[in-house]
Amino acid sequence: MWKRLRSIYSRIVGTISGRQLDQDFKQELESHLVMLADENIRRGMTPDEAERAARIRLGGLAQLKETNRELHGLPIIEPFFQDARYALRMLRKNPGFTAVAVLTLALGIGANTAIFSVVYAVLLKPLPYANAGQLFFVFQQLPQDAKSGTGWSYPNFAELREQNHIFSEVVGVQNHQLTLTGQGEPSVVNTSVVTPELFSLFEEKPLAGRIFFTDDGKRGAPAVVILSENLWRNTFGADPKIIGSSIYLDQRAFTVVGVMPAKFRFPVLTESEQLWIPLVQDPLFGSWMNRRAGHWLGVTGRLKPGVSLKQAQAELDTISAGLAKEFPAENAGWTIRIMPLQDRFVSDIRSALLVLLGAVGLVLLIACANIANLLLTRAVSRSKEIAVRTALGAGRGRIIRQLLSETAVLGLLGGAVGIALAYWGVQALSSLMPATVPQVNAIRVDNLVLAFALVLSALASAAFGLVPAAFASKSNIQMSLREGGSRSGESANRRRARRFLAAAEIALAMVLLVAAGLLMRSFSKLTSVGPGFDTQQVVKADISLPQFQYSTPPQWTAFSDELLARIQAQPGMKDSAVVTPRPIADGFINLGFDIVGHPPTSQAESRTADYASVSPDYFRVMGIPLLSGRFFNRQDIPSAPPVTLISKALAQRYFPNQDPVGKRLTFGFPPAPGIAREIVGVAGDVRDVSLGQDPGPMMYVPYAQAPFWGANLVVKSTLSPSAVATAIRHEVQKIDKDVPVTDVAKMPDLIDASVSQQRFRTFLLGLFAAMALALAGIGIFGVISYSVSCRTNEIGIRVALGASRRAILGMILRETLVLALAGLAIGVPCVLAAAHLLGHLLFGISVNDPITLAVVGFILAAVAALAGFLPARRAMLVDPMIALRHE
Amino acid sequence: MGSSKSDILQGTLDLMVLKTLEAMGPLHGYGIARRLEQISDQLLAINQGTIYASLVRLLQQRWISAEWGASENNRKAKFYSITKTGRKQLAAEEENWEKISGVIGRILGLAARR
Repeated sequence: MWKRLRSIYSRIVGTISGRQLDQDFKQELESHLVMLADENIRRGMTPDEAERAARIRLGGLAQLKETNRELHGLPIIEPFFQDARYALRMLRKNPGFTAVAVLTLALGIGANTAIFSVVYAVLLKPLPYANAGQLFFVFQQLPQDAKSGTGWSYPNFAELREQNHIFSEVVGVQNHQLTLTGQGEPSVVNTSVVTPELFSLFEEKPLAGRIFFTDDGKRGAPAVVILSENLWRNTFGADPKIIGSSIYLDQRAFTVVGVMPAKFRFPVLTESEQLWIPLVQDPLFGSWMNRRAGHWLGVTGRLKPGVSLKQAQAELDTISAGLAKEFPAENAGWTIRIMPLQDRFVSDIRSALLVLLGAVGLVLLIACANIANLLLTRAVSRSKEIAVRTALGAGRGRIIRQLLSETAVLGLLGGAVGIALAYWGVQALSSLMPATVPQVNAIRVDNLVLAFALVLSALASAAFGLVPAAFASKSNIQMSLREGGSRSGESANRRRARRFLAAAEIALAMVLLVAAGLLMRSFSKLTSVGPGFDTQQVVKADISLPQFQYSTPPQWTAFSDELLARIQAQPGMKDSAVVTPRPIADGFINLGFDIVGHPPTSQAESRTADYASVSPDYFRVMGIPLLSGRFFNRQDIPSAPPVTLISKALAQRYFPNQDPVGKRLTFGFPPAPGIAREIVGVAGDVRDVSLGQDPGPMMYVPYAQAPFWGANLVVKSTLSPSAVATAIRHEVQKIDKDVPVTDVAKMPDLIDASVSQQRFRTFLLGLFAAMALALAGIGIFGVISYSVSCRTNEIGIRVALGASRRAILGMILRETLVLALAGLAIGVPCVLAAAHLLGHLLFGISVNDPITLAVVGFILAAVAALAGFLPARRAMLVDPMIALRHE
Repeated sequence: MGSSKSDILQGTLDLMVLKTLEAMGPLHGYGIARRLEQISDQLLAINQGTIYASLVRLLQQRWISAEWGASENNRKAKFYSITKTGRKQLAAEEENWEKISGVIGRILGLAARR
């Protein structure tokens, strides 16, 4: 060890004082030569002879000096700097080559770095909470509904909180929008309705004031609220005396007890302005706390240190079994599951991001193959230079090292430009990224991402550097020197390598193109799917009623009736309705139901359907057809018999081969659960959850019989959306000036936004595929045009011997097509192996879609033909006289 | 990429140079090369330059030291001499060498007897 250190120390000194050492050694060798020569003279040689003999005896001076320098310097670094300087000189001398290589690499590295920065921020970086690894989302689930998690009722949650030994703390959360008054214009604030454990569970300290205590969650406790820092700053002007003062939510006073720092965001990571109130204080959910039915409370728990997932699941199984035994009506068939909180946040974006990461990886591979090809081409024209170096005594290792240094320099340059591209790309990505991608952490090029880019460029330069280096060092000196730098002597091996690289590029590009093609076809199917309703010219607006003032259903009905009457009286706005929830735009409500006279045959067979409460004109506004029976009308009021409309899917599933009209269903939504309603009609199916999800059973109720605390409007009008919005605001103001109108939007925009994630990934993958196609095209162009220039002589002879131009063109094009076909032949199995990764990103299309495969094959062949055509044309126009003289 | 073969040869040359310096006292590169040739009866046909690599290695280990001086013919030359650690190292290496050459000798002898 010590020995090593000493040697390294003196080597470092040697590196620093290199020039002086060189000088010293030169003198020493000179004196050695003189002494040798002296002796030779003593033996009777002439001075000239003596000196020549001395030189031979001592050995090659240049080599000795080189060895000496290497021994003195640090083993890799010094020659590397020397090589790097040389490499830079070479690159400057070939600006065209350098530009193409650096740009190609930069594109690859930049794209990879940008996507990796997203993957890192969203998937890899832990959530911004203390000990985030211990945080889990706990949900109840029906076995037949294994894909989605569902929430809890409060009594079930309380049971879990009491009985479990695995969580140090659990918290239940629901979101709500409350109206804030008394601070200028009435506004709607995002409110999280929570059990008091929230802040202690997340180990968060308040910026000012206190967090919630257990007592805040008890019935009868004073109403308290905690603000987020941004809300406090933006709405309350950072009032230092805010703690202890009162604010008005839904026109009821809440005492501010704390302000949380801006960095704490929960349950929505993108939400910066919000407030938190105890569940018991919420005008809606507070009244649900005694009901065991329903699944509306999202539960997060912090697992105790040392508790394994298996232990946790075992205990949750026990608890769910207990619940099912004690309260079978509400809990039979439900199980409790748990997933890391991070997975809950990123859910469906994970696979899409990984596919994108794989895609950019392929782009980089293609870029590397391209550069390796360029380098191989160049290595041929450099073979003479290398032969000279070898003749002068450079060892094989030394030559390889020099070539690798050159590619390393190339790699670093490409990496540097790539990182610059990545900075720009990350900005572009962030602005393109749909809001539905959970931005768990800010997406940016930070140190780890930079390190990734550097490692990537090092790996890439090793990848494209080794191939030509391996060939270059094998070349035969005498052959190369004798060839006199002619370019006709490319070795068969090297030609095979170049062709293989080009074919591999085509194969890789094929994988990407097929993936992009599948996504595009799936996206076009998704956007052209009939949702079952028509939102052309439909505008939506939300009116939320303060619930302490408007606290009873009759008040809600009175408000929405008056509002609808006023709006429908406006010119051009006759087609207006209220509905909760709107399909796709608002999410969905799923409720259990029973068929009167037909109890379920088994406990596990649950009957659920999506639920919507609508005013009579809703179906006309949204263009949903009536299949049998009647629509709702103005006589369906609370005092009239309770009625419902069902969807075609519900009718077919639960009333096969019978007329459902006249049958009765029991279901209900607060404040009127478990009401038996007569089916008066069957309406067409709608995709209410998402465009990609098949329509499920659906039941509608008249708004007047099951109102909500507000009015979610849909207005179909030929007026401009802003005119509609103004009219709505005006009418609402006339009824109650303290009620805000929010979230005015065009329905088609919202439907559009619901597929923004799919559009985003389709766009990106399409972009990467286009890059891959361009790179592969350039690759083929390079190989063929090089081959043409090597064969100029041969072509000249052929033309001179009478070959037609057309025959020459065909010959070169055939060469190209063979290359392309080889690429496709490699590509097809790769595609088949890779396509299943896309499986669940696709809609309405199989991963082995033959049309996509055929189209992609055709595109690639066409691009290859085009890339081959340009050099082929050059070959065709070769003048035999010049060609024959061509070296 | 250093093969063990060249390591042994290098080490052997280093050992010979060190031994020469111990036996002869301070000597310049030419002197060392001449001395090695004489002793080996020209059997060791190396370029004289090769010993300089050896000298650099020995210097880096501080087993020898170097300074400029004047040769017999009054020419400027760099003189190398063995240091204290160099002597220690030499003693250790010699012992090691004897052990190894003994073992090799026995093995080769064995092979010859078969």
